[in-house]
Amino acid sequence: MNAKVHNDSHLSDIGRIDIEGLSIEFKSPDGGIVHALAKTDLVIEAGSFVSLIGPSGCGKSTLLNAVAGFVQAATGSIKLDGIEVNGINPDVGVVFQQYALFPWFSALGNVEFALKRFSLSKAERRDRAMAALKEVELEGRENMFPGQLSGGMRQRVALARTFVSEPKVYLMDEPFGALDAQTRIVMHDILLRVWEAHKATVLFVTHDVDEALILSDKAHIMSSGPGRIIETIEIDTERPRRVDAIDQDFITNRNRIIGLLRKPSE
Amino acid sequence: MFYHKRLIEFGQLTLSICGIIAVWWIVAGSGAISQDLFPTPALVFWAAVELYQDGVLISDLKVSMTRAGIGFSIGATLGILIGLLTARVSIISIALEPLLTLLRPIPAIALVPIAIVWFGIGEGSKYFVISYTVFLAVWLNTHSGAKQVAGTYIKASRSLGASRFREFFEVIIPASAPHIVVGLRLGAALAFLSLVAAELSGASAGIGFRLQDARQYIRTDRMFVGLIELGLLGAALDMVFVSISNRLVHWENA
Ligand SMILES: Nc1ncnc2c1ncn2[C@@H]1O[C@H](COP(=O)(O)OP(=O)(O)O)[C@@H](O)[C@H]1O
Ligand SMILES: [Mg+2]
Repeated sequence: MNAKVHNDSHLSDIGRIDIEGLSIEFKSPDGGIVHALAKTDLVIEAGSFVSLIGPSGCGKSTLLNAVAGFVQAATGSIKLDGIEVNGINPDVGVVFQQYALFPWFSALGNVEFALKRFSLSKAERRDRAMAALKEVELEGRENMFPGQLSGGMRQRVALARTFVSEPKVYLMDEPFGALDAQTRIVMHDILLRVWEAHKATVLFVTHDVDEALILSDKAHIMSSGPGRIIETIEIDTERPRRVDAIDQDFITNRNRIIGLLRKPSE
Repeated sequence: MFYHKRLIEFGQLTLSICGIIAVWWIVAGSGAISQDLFPTPALVFWAAVELYQDGVLISDLKVSMTRAGIGFSIGATLGILIGLLTARVSIISIALEPLLTLLRPIPAIALVPIAIVWFGIGEGSKYFVISYTVFLAVWLNTHSGAKQVAGTYIKASRSLGASRFREFFEVIIPASAPHIVVGLRLGAALAFLSLVAAELSGASAGIGFRLQDARQYIRTDRMFVGLIELGLLGAALDMVFVSISNRLVHWENA
């Protein structure tokens, strides 16, 4: 495992993403071309927590999927710590909205799945998976199957499965979109704790402005037709942040983002 | 709670079987149809006792079950293996899919003559007919199951660093398992159908042979014994299958 440098600003030196001139196209069913993402440049600093916000269909998932290696770039490049991303790569962890847990494995089995690429002894693998489950407060539920867990618990298993192998980046596509407000707040706390403990870079897609403001260092606002980043907002609010203790900065940022999202895309 | 439900189910089953026997008895005993053509439950019961005392009831059962079991095992194993390959390996898929689509509509009974020519009237031809029928059902279901494995499972598996080998065994196979199990259940039922088809000609023992043999002497009572045996065996087998498969793919009913 990489010993990641811990410094005050929670920025580390591992997990920097450089996106240059990236554009993505799909073939539409009628044979035409969909410009899902217009030429985009984006630098995501190592160890930072970055959100993408934008209306449905603006290319948030497409951008994320490109970093994950699930979709091919039409132009441009994505580099992770200077190395070109071409294809799926276990250094980039993905948390899916619909969890994508394997229903045939227990919670423990799902987390262990991520550790099988390392040559660990069975006992060690189990211990590490158990520790990850403990970190997301699922101690005692390791033998339950995804079908027996609530949505929030499933997403915690999915999170544990992702961070247990210490990827440099976590990609999260509306991971809490299907959860109720109360569960979300718990998930935010857990996610921030995990992120701080493991020093990874997080790229987080959401359409919930408050969620972005609570979680991230930076929020990139996107607009569609074709998808692009129209504005970047630095969020300097001190951590730890709380939804029930918002300050003036938070409100200013919130108004700004909502104003941008409301603007009809030209 | 659970046992309570079981008890009610058992009660209903008993009741409906008694009802069927009662109606059968009334119809057969009414004299409207000759008892030589449509025997009463009592006559069928005594025919069963007679067959048992002759020793053929049990030996037929053993012979037929062995044939069905061996044929099923061969067909099911090949069906699963080839189904996984045709669904997940595109070269094999392109080569085999059209062929298998052509073979699909051929009923088991149509294969009996050619099986006898190829494998003789011994056990070989029976195994062939049964395993072929089972194979088709299992192959089809396995193929469609393995073909529609959700893309997110594959993406998740690969981004978690699983090799293609591990993806096959830990993702593709379990994700297809619910379909495979459906195929096996269907295959088990078909094993019975084709067993009888195979035994009706060129056999000297087995439930199918006994049915054909009874026809020579117009022993409808013995024929009924054979039919009831097949019904009971098939139903019992299906129940066993359902309970095993519920356990095997437990996450499907969660
Ligand atoms: N696989 C695909 N094939 C064709 N079009 C796609 C595909 N994936 C996404 N798109 C199109 O690309 C655009 C951006 O989609 P997406 O990135 O999913 O948006 P978002 O996640 O912001 O809602 C949409 O117009 C969508 O219809
Ligand atoms: Mg999306």
